[in-house]
Amino acid sequence: MLNIKNLEATIDNKHILKGLNLNIKPGEVHAIMGPNGSGKSTLANVLSGKNGYEIKGDIKYNGESLSELSTEERAQKGIFLAFQYPLEIPGVNTNTFLRTSVNSVRKAQGEKELDTLTFLKLIKEKASELGIDEKFLSRQLNVGFSGGEKKKNEILQMKLLQPKLSILDETDSGLDIDALRIVANGVNSYKSKENAFLIITHYQRLLDYIKPDYVHILSHGKIIKTGDADLGVQLEKTGYSKIV
Amino acid sequence: MRQNYDFKIDKIKDLTPEEISLRKKNLELFYRTGFPNKKDEDWKFSDLNTILSKNFNKIVNNDFLPRETEFKIIEEFEHNFISLFNGKLITKDFSYEEKNKIVIDKFNYKNELSSDSKSSLYFLNNALATGGFSLEISKNYKLKKPLVIYNNFSNSLKETIVNYKNSIILNENSELNLINYFNNSSKENFMVNTLENIKIKKDASLKNILVNSSECNGYFYKYIKSDIERNSSFENYLLSSGLKFNKIDIEINLNEENSNSSVFTALNLINNDHQEIKTRVNHNAPNCHSFQKIKNVLNNESKGVYQGKIFVKNIAQKTDAYQLSKALIIDDGAEFDAKPELEIYADDVKCSHGSTSGNIDLNSLHYLKSRGIPEKEAFRMLINGFLGEILEKLSEGKLKNFLTKKLESQIHGY
Repeated sequence: MLNIKNLEATIDNKHILKGLNLNIKPGEVHAIMGPNGSGKSTLANVLSGKNGYEIKGDIKYNGESLSELSTEERAQKGIFLAFQYPLEIPGVNTNTFLRTSVNSVRKAQGEKELDTLTFLKLIKEKASELGIDEKFLSRQLNVGFSGGEKKKNEILQMKLLQPKLSILDETDSGLDIDALRIVANGVNSYKSKENAFLIITHYQRLLDYIKPDYVHILSHGKIIKTGDADLGVQLEKTGYSKIV
Repeated sequence: MRQNYDFKIDKIKDLTPEEISLRKKNLELFYRTGFPNKKDEDWKFSDLNTILSKNFNKIVNNDFLPRETEFKIIEEFEHNFISLFNGKLITKDFSYEEKNKIVIDKFNYKNELSSDSKSSLYFLNNALATGGFSLEISKNYKLKKPLVIYNNFSNSLKETIVNYKNSIILNENSELNLINYFNNSSKENFMVNTLENIKIKKDASLKNILVNSSECNGYFYKYIKSDIERNSSFENYLLSSGLKFNKIDIEINLNEENSNSSVFTALNLINNDHQEIKTRVNHNAPNCHSFQKIKNVLNNESKGVYQGKIFVKNIAQKTDAYQLSKALIIDDGAEFDAKPELEIYADDVKCSHGSTSGNIDLNSLHYLKSRGIPEKEAFRMLINGFLGEILEKLSEGKLKNFLTKKLESQIHGY
């Protein structure tokens, strides 16, 4: 599904990713762990198509070169990034935003757009699965939401858009234990043979709930070690300094 | 550059000899300075004289224009209405209200003309004004439905100036939601100079909403003077777009304790539109609250101006005054000028002001796009959100939906 070869990324003359290789197949859960500044969020940003990066190397998504696609086209083709810091957008109603988003993706995929009532039913169902109070949906997007509420809102968007590849950028940060469990359940319930996940995290604790097939350690812009779920557990005990 | 004008008092019908003489005196006073230019501090960012010189060959007044009475009634919410045609009161319909609670009539000029002002547009208005209305709401009467004022203008107003005065009085404990509605698409250049006097007696409440619904070649100036008594509220919502020139000059006098005023504006300017909001809020009594949020989006070669002054008199302790201007400058050719001022003579007050201008936030744009929303639409959502914030305080309902839609429709072309 995703094939990254020799990826380099530079921003403001800072060389951050320095030859990263990664292959993700449908149904797999990959975790990327690494110390601060190793390039984890840069990888997420580059995959989502954020402007400002100078990029070398090759990223293929289902055989198509990602560099050819705009941010919105990537989303429409099934790449989803759950932001580390979801943005607060004053004046934009959460419900309207979600419906515009879902319908933009449906339209691009050649499906019929959802009418207001059908959408309302869908969103109520998905929100209640994640324990999101309906009143959040009528508020301005992420404005005044707590850290946990913002992260739940990201997972809600994931479940509404039904992406093939979900990238979770430190979705566990800022979550209390209950919220962490809800978010993890949200992810687990969306796992399938077709869907893949790339989970970026500092800590093992999210991986206690979402079991990865592969754990990669990112350091200085490269993946320096790959293992199975045990690697994360081991890392939690020894710390990065022993490995990096 | 001196403007080429041809103003004639004898084009106005039914004047007494005293009126003629007073009007002539005002016209003389206007001629001394002509239209205001940038040397006048109040007009330093909006040089009206130059703007008119560039766009008018000459300007005339004309009281004898053919009447076109057709106009489209708003269907989105139930309302009372009056219609003005070139400033003249034509129809009134208060079928939702109790009889004898509302007095509406043509403005009576007999006792209202004076010559004690320093503003040349004021003199010009005194000299040439005809039409307009006076509206008075009875004590303890709260209108059941909003009142829409349809401001219609003739399509043959070429190079013509229309001057009129309005008076609005809300007596004790009365309530009115007023919508000033403009829907004109005249391609001819014309100018409108309006003076409006608003009196809000104690415990009364006025919402004053201005909506512009189409693009036209009109040049508008409106001066609103308001006097507010105890425990009253005066809220302004100005959603104006698509006019070549528009300056709204609001003076709010909070004359007695515990009254509130607010000014919310959302302006989306395109092409070479020029709009100015000028406010002067005078806190003349203790314990009053004033709030201003001015939002501008500037595209192409447009220019936006905000001049806002808060004055706090020495006796006006416990004043709470707030003023914020935010501008989004989309294109390099656009310009925004802000001049916020505070003048405070009391020592126990809370006053704050701020002014920011910048471009659209690229991180927010990226966030929306990453959810599959095409760039153009994401852009529109952000602009809409930016401007739409000013409607937040309005209670939910058909009127708010109408205003939200109007605001959205102003944001076209992205």
